[in-house]
Formats: sequence, C-alpha cells, structure tokens
Amino acid sequence: MTKYVGKNIPRLDGYDKATGRGLYTTDVNLPHMLHAAVLRSPYAHAKVVSIDVSEAEKMDGVVAIATRDNTPRTYFNVTASMILTVPPAKPVLDQQIFPDVVRYIGDEVAAVAAETLEIAKEAIKKIKVVYEELPAVYDVEEAMKDGAPQVQPDFSPGNNLCGGVIKIRQGDVDAAWDEGEVYAEHTMYLPRVKQAQLETHGAVASYNPDGNLKVYSTTQTPYPCKVIIATVFGMPSSYVRVKNPPHVGGGFGVRIGISAKAELIASALSIIAKRPVKYIYSREEDFLASDTRHGGLIKCRLAAKKDGTFVALDAKACMNTGAYATFGPDLVAVLGACGIAGIYGIPNIRYDGHAIYTNQQTAGAFRGYGTPQGTIATEMCVDSIAKQLGMDALELRLKNTTRVGADWWFPYPVKSTYLNECLEQCAESIGWKEKRGKKQTGTIRRGVGIACGTHVSNAAPFCVDYDAAYMRIESDGTLHVASSIPEIGPGVTTGLLQIAAETVGVPLETSRLAYGDTDVGPFDIGSHASRTLYAVGHLFVKIGKELKKQILEWAAKFLYVDVETLDLVDGEIIGSCEKSRLCIKPMPLGELAYEAHLRGKQFLVHGCEVPPNSPPWHAHAAEVEVDMETGMVKVLKVAAAHDVGVAINPVLVEGQIEGAVAMGVGYAIREEMTYEEGKGFYNDSYHKYMLPTMDEMPEIDTIIVDAFDPAGPYGAKGIGECGLVPTAPAIISAVEDAIGIRFYEMPMTPGRVLKKIKEVYGDDLENL
Amino acid sequence: MKERLVTTVNGRRIERYVDPSMRLVDFLRDELLLTGTKIGCKQGECGACTIIMNGTAVLSCIMPVMKAMDAEILTIEGLEKDGTLHPIQDEFIKGGAIQCGFCTPGFIMGTKALLDENPSPTSEEVREELSGHICRCTGYKKIEEAVLKAAERLREEKDD
Repeated sequence: MTKYVGKNIPRLDGYDKATGRGLYTTDVNLPHMLHAAVLRSPYAHAKVVSIDVSEAEKMDGVVAIATRDNTPRTYFNVTASMILTVPPAKPVLDQQIFPDVVRYIGDEVAAVAAETLEIAKEAIKKIKVVYEELPAVYDVEEAMKDGAPQVQPDFSPGNNLCGGVIKIRQGDVDAAWDEGEVYAEHTMYLPRVKQAQLETHGAVASYNPDGNLKVYSTTQTPYPCKVIIATVFGMPSSYVRVKNPPHVGGGFGVRIGISAKAELIASALSIIAKRPVKYIYSREEDFLASDTRHGGLIKCRLAAKKDGTFVALDAKACMNTGAYATFGPDLVAVLGACGIAGIYGIPNIRYDGHAIYTNQQTAGAFRGYGTPQGTIATEMCVDSIAKQLGMDALELRLKNTTRVGADWWFPYPVKSTYLNECLEQCAESIGWKEKRGKKQTGTIRRGVGIACGTHVSNAAPFCVDYDAAYMRIESDGTLHVASSIPEIGPGVTTGLLQIAAETVGVPLETSRLAYGDTDVGPFDIGSHASRTLYAVGHLFVKIGKELKKQILEWAAKFLYVDVETLDLVDGEIIGSCEKSRLCIKPMPLGELAYEAHLRGKQFLVHGCEVPPNSPPWHAHAAEVEVDMETGMVKVLKVAAAHDVGVAINPVLVEGQIEGAVAMGVGYAIREEMTYEEGKGFYNDSYHKYMLPTMDEMPEIDTIIVDAFDPAGPYGAKGIGECGLVPTAPAIISAVEDAIGIRFYEMPMTPGRVLKKIKEVYGDDLENL
Repeated sequence: MKERLVTTVNGRRIERYVDPSMRLVDFLRDELLLTGTKIGCKQGECGACTIIMNGTAVLSCIMPVMKAMDAEILTIEGLEKDGTLHPIQDEFIKGGAIQCGFCTPGFIMGTKALLDENPSPTSEEVREELSGHICRCTGYKKIEEAVLKAAERLREEKDD
C-alpha cells in the first residue's frame, strides 16, 4: 500500500496561484529596472545594410540600445538542442541575436532599454534601418525546388534542407511492398498552429559588473537556458543563474531552451546598461516571433494483407521549419519514430523526414513534438485500409498494434502496452458498435471515429537527456529536495514530491521541493518530452532509497541495533519487535536527525542518471456533428483512454489529458496560422487565432486504463503530450464517418468543409 | 499631466495622482503592486486581467484608469480573508482547475462575479458566462466542475 503515490494530492502551488501571490516573470520588478522593446524586420528576407540609432539615443529616458554592432555575434540555437544533440550529430547553430540578414517578418534587428516601456517603444520607431530586400520563399514544396531562394545558404546542403534527411529504416519496404494485397496512399497537409500559452515569453536580466548575470525567465528548461546564455555571451556558466520566479504561465514546448530570444535580449541590454532589464513579449510578438508547430505535408502509404495484417509503411515528411532550425531536424525524427514507426507492429518501415527552411517565422516544439503530425498521417492510411477491406476500423487497429517485446525500431524495449485496452475502452465509451458506419442523411450528420498512438516518456537516447538532484534531511527530520526542474503547469512538482516522500518514508506535509532555479539544483534537462514526472521521478526513487538507507544505517549504529530490524515509515524509525528495543516506541526522524546533527552528520544524497524510456499509449474516440449547410464541425464528445502506467496523481493526469484534448480539438477544426505574403502571419492576437473556448468544449470522458510499467517510477509513464496525439485523427475519422468525406487538409474549418461537401454532393444541398 | 484618482481597492481607500492615459491593470500592477491580476494579451481578449468593479467583472487591461474614480474594486488579492481561502479559490485548487495558473486569478474573479449574480448557474450558464476567459492548460472541464462545486458550497454557507 502506498501512502502518497496514486493519491489525488491537491497541487502544492495551488495556494500561490489561486491567491495571486505567486510570482511569474511578468511580475518581477527589480530596483533600478529598465524596460525593453525590440525592433523587428518588416521584410521576409533582407540584408541589413545599416542601422542608425542616433535619433533614438538622444531620447530622454533611453539608456541602452543593442544592435549587431555592440552585441556578441555568436551563432546559437534558441532551443536546448544546442547543448543536447547526441554526437556524432551536430546541432544546427544558425541564429544570432541580431542577424546581418533578416529571414522572416519579425526577425530581430535592434532593442532598446529605457526608463519606461512607452519610451522604449517610441525609441525603436526612431531607429533608422536600411534594408536590401532579397527574394523569399514561403512554401515547403517551392522551397525544395531547384533554383528556389536559399534561406540559410551557410547551414543547408541545398534546396533549403535543414540538418540533413532523417532516415528511419526497418526491414525492406521495397522488397516487401508486393506482398501487400491492399494499399493506401495519401498526402496530408498540416497547418502551423501556435502554443498560445497564457504567459508570453519574458525575462528580467540583471547583470552585475562583477560578472554575475541573474535571469528570471519563462523557460521550461532553466539549466539548458543558463548554458545557452553563458555560451552566447562567452561567460563562465557558473556566473549565470537562471531562475523561474518560480511560476511559468505554460510552455507546451515553446520555450525548451530560451524563451524565443527574451533572455538573450534582456541580458544583452542589461550588460550594456549595467542595470536590470525587463523584456516581456507582447502577445503580438509571442504570436509572430516565436516557434509554432510545424506545418507541411506528409506523404504516406501502407500495404496490408487481405486479413488486415500490415506489411509495409512508407512515409516522407516535408515540414516547414521557417527561417531558423530551432528543433526542426530533431522534431522530424520524432515525427517519424513515434508517429510513423511506433504505433503498429509493421515489419517493413521506411521514413524520410525533411525539415525545410522558409522565410517564415520558426517552427519548433509544440506538445507532441511531431508525433501528432505523424500519427495523423499513419491513421489516415489505416482508416483507408479498413474502408477498402470493409473491416471495422477498431478491429484493424486491435490486430496490428505494437506488442510487449516487439521487435521495433526504437533502441529501448516495449516493456508494457495497454493500447488495445485503450482502444476498447474509448470505443465502448463513444458507443462505437452502435454508432460507427450508420448512414447519415439530412442537414446535421453525426459520426464517430477512432485513432491511437504512442509517444515517449523522455527524450533519451535521442537527445542528451538526464537529471541530477539533491536530497537531504533537515535537522528537524523534514525532507528537502532540490532540483532545477521547472513547473510549467502540469503539477509535476507535486507528483515528484509524492514520489520522494513515499520512497524516503516521510510525511508529504513536511517535505519540500525547491525547483526552477539553477542555483538551487544541479543539471536537469528540464520539462518537456512528457518526461519530468517519469524521469525525475525515476531519479527520486533511486536517491530516495539511498537516503533512507543512509538514515537507517546511522540509526542502527546510534541505537545499537541491527539495520535489518529497522524501517522508516511516515517519518518514524520503527523497529521489528523480535530484536529491537524500538519495538514499543517508534523514534521520530526529527529526534534522530537532531542527534545526528549534534554529532556533525546530515543525511544527504545526490544523484545523476539517464532515465530508461517507456512508451506511453493512448486511443481516442470522437463523436462529431457536421452541418451540411454551414460546413460547421461540432465535436460532441472525446473519449480519451490512456496507458500512463500507474497514475501517480490521477487528477493531475486527467488535467494533462483534458487540456491536450482541447488543443487537439482546436488543431482539428479551428486553429491555423495563415500567411499573407508581404505582411506575414495574420494571426497576431487571440482575437485572430481561434482557440477553443469554454462554451465550445466537447464532453471529455477521461479514461486512465489500469496499467503498470516495469521501468517507470512506481510503474508510471509519461503523459504530458499524449492527449494531443490521437485527438485530431479521431475527429477526422469521425467526420468521414458522418459525411463520407476524408479530409487530407487541416483544420476542418467551415469554409474547407463546405467546399468539400459541394465538391462531393454538388451545389444542390436541398437534395442531401 | 497627472490626474487625481480616488478609489477603493480591496476595501482600502487609495488616493493617487496618475497618468490618465494609463490602463487600470497597469495601475493595479505597477502602482499598487497587486500583481495577482495578470496580463495575457492587453487587448481585452483573454480574460486574465478580470477584476470586479462595483460588483461587475471587468477587463482591467482595456479599462482607462480614471474609470476607477470613486469605484469599489476587488482584485484576486482581496478574496482571501486572513489566510482563509474563498470557497472558489479552494475548489479551484482541490478540483485540479489550476495548472499553469496564469488565467486563474481572472477565472476566479469572473466566477465570483457570476456566482454573486447567479448563485445556482447551470453548466451551460457557467460555460457561456466564462467563455471570455482563455485557459490553454485545462480543457476547461475541471474549471467548470470547480465553479459548480463552489456555487454549491456558497449556497450551503448562505443557508447556514
């Protein structure tokens, strides 16, 4: 029996957040602090010929102006891939704080720090920049053609390819292809979508002329953020401290590394001004000058036997990574691995992934990290095979899913999968048997669809992925844990403390986790890849056991008893009645710890490890209603079934699933970044970006299937991103079930849907 | 040019000379250091800056500061009494309605205004009334549940 693991402990930062007491980066105000604004390129591709700051400099209240002329020219990558790329692969370092050639509308040209934000904003208008416009390219297919304008000639082997072609190979697709008896082949066109986290990117940097730089930041990876800053400015890493304040208003992948360029620009200005500088992205800047999800196209084909057995899967992804690499090459790898190669046991798999440079803003990590895109492509072919065979789409999936011990492409084993349980339970919840394939007529048509997928519980071994932490017992017997992980919202800092207190054997109420600060904890890769609870939890189990052992060994000597007779339970040293004199009266850990303290001993452990990896599994079933006259798709219900292993804190797990489902619904039917040549992306505000709101949310049936993973901490697996993965393909499948039209382009907005309805059913909607 | 502003914030009378072009949210956050009220968009589109003015939920990010003249303002900081959480705050925490927390103060203030006006809202009313608040983390399900639970508790407290 566990005391904390598996329990719905209310999140420990709840009080801070519900009362408004808790600090976010936007709330940080330091003495003598300046405010920053940034001048951005109005051109999609242009050479910066000259920058004249003289008029701006004269303005009252302007303290520092940063341009390419007085800041480091170091090449970097804003993402953690800069320092986490596994050799022999090399990170693509193609960014500079202020580049000589601007490559998208919004690229950084100069920044001003002034006494007020208003002055800083006025000052950037007075900076005179001479640009020499260059030919630009926006579309992936155009960019890959010979003779296309080259976005990054110094970092691309040609045809705007970023970071080389990512290849995944299993078996021999060409040789096996003819073994197929039925074939599916389609191309899926995917939109860019935006994380749109509630707190925009921001940083407050405080440079001290003694060489120390302290940065409050919205990063979801404090330690990698610190290393990137130190590298860019050529400073000793030990002199740079990155701290979440500690709260971060969401992440969803958009700040793995630094928060767009917030930390670097605030730091550059602070170094010049020698005063603290606060730079908070406006909502417009956040929308238009930070990573989006990758859009692009995926060609996918699947060969199967007549009995439904999958024989070979062949896919090629060409994803629009924008003006700079950020996570492009890494992400197309995960797209292929988890989205294409992972879900089904298919002996022959071939995948070629291309991240393609264009003159648009960058695309990078966004919850799911390529897996949602790949899954949409795979599931489109699976549904097509089911249709051709006249086979139930659920049955076809149940037959082909990856099994425990599968001979799969990944470098770690499948130790557990409850994917078929997920499929069955979500199908049951949606009423699959009664509803699927029922012919619909009339204006409002209903349908149900299903999709499934997998992901990761961390990024190892695909990137350098490890955690380090300290644990100690204070002299009053309370547990203190220190890690530099951030809390970006999921509640991992609560779940992790549940694991630590459980393992050590102390009350949660007196245990504390210090986090989100590189001066508090040692290296930690941070919060992403659905990893934090799984990977850091794995480390906490390991060092928690060591701490407990250390306590009991010292207690045994102190009490003159055999260590085997002792245990630490709920903060008390208890003895076995057979041998120990502690049989009657347990000794509070506080008493022991104080005795130890008086003798110069603190119970203290540290640890550092690369986590194992366990694929999580998930299946969603969706029910939709399509209005044949308006083209409006309404999602009525999503049944979301997840194999997360053991849920350490079920309410927090549900929260992850439900939030990701909402994003998946937006991805499927509403959200889209629309590019207007010469102007840039249209979507510069919440008003122009159609996020799901409370009144439009479908019913969500959140199902955590009974599962256990042998490698995960207390049997747990990752969950953070998973709810997004199968949502959109399940909705696409449901729309097809409702109106007989499969969409190979997203999102399924009323305009797009109505156009297809007219194509298929003709103009005469009266006769539907 | 500064103007004299007299207003009451969380029960405290405030008298200041302010730049009248300022938005109310900046006055609250920068002048009074009440940073619990958040800025998500500064365009009146996300609801994170919601406060209660004279009993009504308003978006402080698009509200000119002088509109606060002689008004009674309640911000998130004024909801908890001597360390005891308001039932709405408590239910948000217990029910998992908080994740990153950035939309939370606005949601809680919006909920307070809603329940003051309508102590027994239906699910549909909750969804409709709070649809001006954007949350990107929760999918809204647990927020809706927390609002309904808080309503129930507040009704019970009233009955007692």
